[in-house]
Amino acid sequence: MSPNLHLAHTSDVLLTWAVFAYAFAMFGYAAEFAAGRRVQARGGGAEVVGRGSRRAEQFGRIAVVLTFAGWAAHLSSVLTRGFAVHRVPWGNMYEFSCMVTLVAVSIFLLLLMQQPLRRIVAIATRRPSRTVMTWKARESVRYLGAFVMAPVVLYLGLAGTVLYAAPGPLVPALNSYWIKIHVVAAITATGAFMVSGVVTILYLLKERFERGQPPLRVSLAARLRSPLRPQRVSLGPGTAAVVEMGAARGGLMRALPEAANLDRLAYRIITFAFPIWTFAIIAGAIWAEQAWSRYWGWDPKETWSFITWLGYASYLHARATAGWRGRRAASLSLLAFGFLMVDYYVVNTVITGLHSYAGVS
Amino acid sequence: MTVVESEQSEKLSTAPEPVAPASGSGPLRLALRFWRQLTSMRTALLLLALLALAAIPGTVIPQRGLDPVKVDNFLANHPHLGPLMDHLSLFDVFAAPWFAAIYLLLFVSLVGCLVPRIRLHAAALRRRPPNAPRHLMRMPASTQWRTEADPDDVVSAAHEVLRRSRWRADCRDETDGVRTVAAEKGYFRETGNLVFHVALLVLLVGIALSGLYGYKGTALVTQGGGFANAREAYDVFEPSRLFSDSQLAPFSFTLRKFSATYQRSGEPASFDAYINYKKSPTAAAAPFDVRVNHPLDVDGAKVFLVGHGYSLIIRVSNAAGRTVYDQATPFLPDDSLFSSHGVVKVPDLGGKAQLGLTGFFYPTAGVSPLGGLTSIYPGTERPVLSLAAWSGNLGLDTGTPQSVYSLPVANLKNVGVRQLTPGHTWRLKNGTRVTFVGIRQWATFQVAHEPGKRTVLVGAVLIIAGLLASLRVRRRRFWLRAIPAAAGDTDRRTVVTAAGLARSDADGFADELETLLAQIGVQGGRPPSGAEGTEA
Repeated sequence: MSPNLHLAHTSDVLLTWAVFAYAFAMFGYAAEFAAGRRVQARGGGAEVVGRGSRRAEQFGRIAVVLTFAGWAAHLSSVLTRGFAVHRVPWGNMYEFSCMVTLVAVSIFLLLLMQQPLRRIVAIATRRPSRTVMTWKARESVRYLGAFVMAPVVLYLGLAGTVLYAAPGPLVPALNSYWIKIHVVAAITATGAFMVSGVVTILYLLKERFERGQPPLRVSLAARLRSPLRPQRVSLGPGTAAVVEMGAARGGLMRALPEAANLDRLAYRIITFAFPIWTFAIIAGAIWAEQAWSRYWGWDPKETWSFITWLGYASYLHARATAGWRGRRAASLSLLAFGFLMVDYYVVNTVITGLHSYAGVS
Repeated sequence: MTVVESEQSEKLSTAPEPVAPASGSGPLRLALRFWRQLTSMRTALLLLALLALAAIPGTVIPQRGLDPVKVDNFLANHPHLGPLMDHLSLFDVFAAPWFAAIYLLLFVSLVGCLVPRIRLHAAALRRRPPNAPRHLMRMPASTQWRTEADPDDVVSAAHEVLRRSRWRADCRDETDGVRTVAAEKGYFRETGNLVFHVALLVLLVGIALSGLYGYKGTALVTQGGGFANAREAYDVFEPSRLFSDSQLAPFSFTLRKFSATYQRSGEPASFDAYINYKKSPTAAAAPFDVRVNHPLDVDGAKVFLVGHGYSLIIRVSNAAGRTVYDQATPFLPDDSLFSSHGVVKVPDLGGKAQLGLTGFFYPTAGVSPLGGLTSIYPGTERPVLSLAAWSGNLGLDTGTPQSVYSLPVANLKNVGVRQLTPGHTWRLKNGTRVTFVGIRQWATFQVAHEPGKRTVLVGAVLIIAGLLASLRVRRRRFWLRAIPAAAGDTDRRTVVTAAGLARSDADGFADELETLLAQIGVQGGRPPSGAEGTEA
């Protein structure tokens, strides 16, 4: 069956809308962050930031609404694409990117809605709503907004331009029900790893801040200057300006939740994604056994998926190993995410292998 | 207080306590030290990272197992660096001794880690939950209330609720009529963790089994032709180390029809190899459609469709009119649009000189950007065969084996070139007639037998199950202490303190505790209001 070009066009338009909505949402979240910081600066060292500011709250709410709108357009874009080509909408890199970002945004929205959802469930099941044991209430993950939206917009931007593939049928090698199992698992895990990567970066920044280390820019500037004028590192007017900027960033840092919470959130997402990634690899092996007559052949895609797996396995082990907890483990998780990106972008486009379905010409 | 907390949460893990490295010298001590070093978590971590790094060159440098032609080209282009890299097994990274060394060390470290952990866990499974700490209110989650109920009633109600929720729970007596309940749940976390790691070993065993006893081979079969599973029938045959010919299942098949369809763009749309197969020479034939993603499974061997191309039926008759060659000759595709090349060798033309034909075939001929012929579509819409005829000694009797797909023409004399379409005949100067009779398709099949496949699958399933248990299940503890009212107390009620401890994800645990307490509260006489919620 030839693709329905009209529907495919609708899908493209919807995706553009989604990208714009996400981009504006990103600015909204960023504005909330910044407004919250200004309040903090005026209030003079209040520990909890951004909660009191009505303007910040408004920015945040608008951003959430925009994210939902973008998500709806995004989902519709994927669905119309699927109907247009009469198959699953993840047959090439463009479609895969759309799916991965959809999963990432969905996970963010799920985390965001967790508390309201829980309340609904509690009311529905008539569980006593009064908290008997007091626990630290979970903070809203809205602070994540700008940081999740940024890579999503980037991903989709790349997908819509460089990776775009015209609607068409699947090549025979992909024509198997395993595409539903293997690829969906890979998409879900990739989307989740993406969110955990964002959280991990925030964790590393915050952790550094909590240790009282100067922000990266200051230490870099100091390091760059020291060989030339070692005595004047802290005296030069330029350095002072940078330190001031660093302090401003400290304000932003303060608006982030505690490093320990960020670490726990990143860990939770990875413990969700890692078994799915494992399953994706195994399902891929079973499919490979049917399609290519062997379940494992060290094809570049297989190898990089395995390397990514080892990376996240190292992270999980590191968390349980004394001396590797915290910062080092987080770096390992970022390294693993780097492997995943190589697996996705480099292997698909640069290295030729059996997984060359990118559809990029 | 934080000390208490971290100490407690540490104990929730069954990870082996770090052992101080054995000091002193002596070979035994040294070996022990090495063993402890090897089985430490740090080493495992290092080896994991090392394995990841070691795999990277295998994806950047061309690999023999994936693309031998690329490796040959690389060697030809790098006469100095190439052999050195070859010496370091950089073209066979995944079969390299250093790669094997890393993963074998990792597995040794794994076994060394697993054995004590399994012992510890087995002991933990038999042990009763630990006693309630003295200061329950210092736990990360705790609460206290007063009730009219007797301590015994509170404790037995709590015990009952915990047992129903499948906690391992014990009632214990302390001094002065104080009673406690100690409960623990989530042993499955460590079980899952151990299952996961044992499953990795199962996986390795399965891979080894296939590597030792399996075989694989490829065979080209032209439409109408057949294949019987014997070593000679394969074009390429790769037995494993302990393989014997008796392992070849005695099946056979004939290729009834091969059909390939394409999109207008030339992208493939479908491939079907319709075969009739027999499980044994005496069995009845059954039809099967071998497709990509749809292999034939026969007696533990799998038959896959891995390639296809065109065979050209070429007939050669000599000057006397005698037919000296009449065969479907397979041509090998050179590109995705099936520009193909092939060779015909006619050793007996009747005279002294032998005849060789080299040909290029274009299923749908078009003009290439360079002005020559090329194929512009993989289907046979405008087939053209471009032939060159060579005369002389083909060198077939020199004893050196020759490929059937190439003809060394250095010592031969060219006696003409011609383009033919199906049904047309080319008459050479010496009277030889070459007829392009027609086109058939061929398919290449790969037959693979991997005895360890099932073991690998079992290992894989266990890996997932173990992972899920070890990452989703939480080890958690719960304590409740009921203190009877003191004699002189004006408020003559029992004081109940309850506390919970979980290693991670406190949020879900809070919900669980709340539900537990609600149940205990109903039965243990806990008043609905006035509870003094406290935070550690």
